[in-house]
Amino acid sequence: MVEMNEQLIREIVSRVLQAMDEPKDEVQPKQLKVLDESKVLFKEIGPAKYSSDIKEVAVGIAPAFGVTIHKTINGLSHEQVLKEILAGIEEEGMTPRIIRVTKSSDVAFIGNQVAKLAGSGIGIGIQSKGTVVIHQKNLYPLTNLELFPQAPSLTLEIYRQIGKNAARYAKGEVVKPIVVPNDIYVRPKYQVKAALMHTKETELVDRNGDYIEIENPFKKGSV
Amino acid sequence: MVLVGGVDIGNSTTEVCIGQVDDSGKIHFCSSAMTPTTGTKGTIHNIVGIKDALTKALEKIQKDISDLDEIRLNEAAPVIGDTAMETITETIITESTMIGHNPYTPSGEGFGLGTTVCIKDLFNVEPGKDYIVVIPRVVTYEEAAFLINEASKRINIQGAILEADEAVLVNNRLNRKIPIVDEVKLIEKVPLGVEAVVEVAGQGKTIRYLSNPYEIATLFNLDAEETKYVVPVAKSLIGNRSAVVIRTPKGQVEERIIKAGALEIITPNHQMIHVDIDEGAEKIMDLTKEIEEIKDIKGEPGTNVGGMLNRMKEDLAHLTDRPMEEICIKDILAVDTLVSNPVEGGLAGEVSLEKAVAIAAMVKAEQLPMEKIAKKLEEEVKVKVKVAGVEAVMATLGAMTTPGTKLPLAILDLGGGSTDAALIDEDGWVRSVHLAGAGGFITMLMASELGIEDRTLVEEIKKYPVAKVESLFHIRMENGEVIFYKEPLNPKYFGKVVVLTDKEMLPIEKNIAMEKIVEIRRQVKKKVFVTNAIRALKKIAPFSNIKNIPNVVLVGGSALDFEIPDLILEELSKIGIIVGRGNIRRIEGPRNAVATGLVMSYGGLVK
Repeated sequence: MVEMNEQLIREIVSRVLQAMDEPKDEVQPKQLKVLDESKVLFKEIGPAKYSSDIKEVAVGIAPAFGVTIHKTINGLSHEQVLKEILAGIEEEGMTPRIIRVTKSSDVAFIGNQVAKLAGSGIGIGIQSKGTVVIHQKNLYPLTNLELFPQAPSLTLEIYRQIGKNAARYAKGEVVKPIVVPNDIYVRPKYQVKAALMHTKETELVDRNGDYIEIENPFKKGSV
Repeated sequence: MVLVGGVDIGNSTTEVCIGQVDDSGKIHFCSSAMTPTTGTKGTIHNIVGIKDALTKALEKIQKDISDLDEIRLNEAAPVIGDTAMETITETIITESTMIGHNPYTPSGEGFGLGTTVCIKDLFNVEPGKDYIVVIPRVVTYEEAAFLINEASKRINIQGAILEADEAVLVNNRLNRKIPIVDEVKLIEKVPLGVEAVVEVAGQGKTIRYLSNPYEIATLFNLDAEETKYVVPVAKSLIGNRSAVVIRTPKGQVEERIIKAGALEIITPNHQMIHVDIDEGAEKIMDLTKEIEEIKDIKGEPGTNVGGMLNRMKEDLAHLTDRPMEEICIKDILAVDTLVSNPVEGGLAGEVSLEKAVAIAAMVKAEQLPMEKIAKKLEEEVKVKVKVAGVEAVMATLGAMTTPGTKLPLAILDLGGGSTDAALIDEDGWVRSVHLAGAGGFITMLMASELGIEDRTLVEEIKKYPVAKVESLFHIRMENGEVIFYKEPLNPKYFGKVVVLTDKEMLPIEKNIAMEKIVEIRRQVKKKVFVTNAIRALKKIAPFSNIKNIPNVVLVGGSALDFEIPDLILEELSKIGIIVGRGNIRRIEGPRNAVATGLVMSYGGLVK
């Protein structure tokens, strides 16, 4: 144990030193610690029920998220994406909760349905290809608080901000507008991939399926 | 019996009043109407709007423009106003002595004192001592928490300064919670190896130790002389939820006064009065109060205020189409205000409220070409058109039709560009005055104090009450009342402060508390209109004694404002003056005063 710690400390220190030599604007985006690939990440606990904890913000994951699909349309791993969203919620002082939705693969319905289960009434819906919506329980499913339709343009940094904004809605605060780069070539470039990913996701939809509570895999204090 | 139409062309609206005057001179008012002014006030483009308004009013009594015997136009007051602002203080931090910004989510509670150390050196420092750890963005929150937990076995970590917005994430993973300030953008500028204090206040509170010079002295063991230098540091941290103060040998916080220059007020007998801008608005206003008549106001050449007044004169010269030398500033209204500016030398993008002086100026212009409009209109409608009288006089005449008034009667016309006042006494004599500073000045002051650049939005905030959208089904008004909705509101309003205009809700995208908006709005309105009301009434009052005016009737667009009349009444009722929104002919409210006065003047009531 001690040995591993020392190795880790050396690793971080060398990274800090390296980053400090580089000019500030060229610092690479944060590299997350490589997660243990073999770990079963999305452990199911049981059916998800409504909770009255008003600090709670729910993150609804689509049927194939981390099951048959493991990366978003632009190659971000589902673990990292989820981790950033949860970190955003936590930084704002709210409690994140993960719920798998199997009834639908439509991002709007996923977001709206988990919002109805969360104590704060705020939910985030995320599809396997990376499309995200922030929803509120009283809204019609096809409206939303914020929608991020261009999944290929989303980065880990943006996923963190989405988590933060959702938490701010739950607190009734003014949110910070999120800047998403707009790429006009996204549609031709990703159309086929998006369709295939969505089909793969929809294959797992079970109309009579349950909402399943997922254990938070990123326990506080673990690296 | 004749049918007369009175037409008042204003900056934004054209108002008409139709009246019948019988042979004995008795007036019977028939109808009135209002349309938006077409084109700039005082140009022939106005004719379209005039005809439109007249037709609208005459339709109500089944008549036509050709049935009129005379059309009477107002003689618009030839004044134009402009506004400008100059910052007069700046805050400078030298040698990174403090970080005084307000991140949204600092973490921990209390304060920690120690030597600053970069997280990479955490394992090379002397054990057993107190440290404040400095963490750059490249280190993730998990790694940072891990390193702090490990290092805490041999040293005491008392607080942390983070570049990334991760204070809560780090603290949640620590075995022992510490105060953490995050979002420090220029983290590489934080000096290492020096003593520093990190303080974070509990939720809903503000810091207690670092905003008190004696506490800073206690923490850093300062003597009396050194304590004097930390006063500006403490002062600039008041009201923050979190702060860092770093002890460096020479570093300090300074509030510098920017040399903004001086105003030179010239009187008709060529006396020149000199006043420095950085002495503040109060001093400037005190001086102008003593001057009977101002011939011109100039700015000291080569200074900020010189440039400011020159720009104003240039604009006005352009507007009135006259050479700049002929533009003379006849009145100014100076107001102290605050502008939030970035602090020079700040490490976290701190802002500080700097003092500024805002100035509204007014110049007299040539007579507007009303005769030209009259001639053109006469040709087009084949009815006699007459430019019938000065606007202020006509407004007082019209205002007299407000029930409950008696002579002498004063009117205050709160417009967009200038505040006008006129007094009509028992003998029918009218005295009038035009002062700088009105609706447009209020908009400018509100925009800078609220920090909102969108002028259209500020204009709406000025005119309508605000509310906070607390859920998709209810909003809380600024007076505390709650309004419920059956259908969910548009999600774009969720959690925001909104302006309730007549047509729709407008979201304010900036993070300003509703109470703060209300406070700024009321304060600015007071600073401009209440000050100007008193200034104007003093100038027209018999024997310069404001108490000799028993009635004041408010007319003009700003009189329709939901709180300005109340603010003025509050102030003037203290000296026993009756003031209120006019109610022209019992039915028009504060509108239509000039048009009504024009019809009344047909009988030759005014001397």
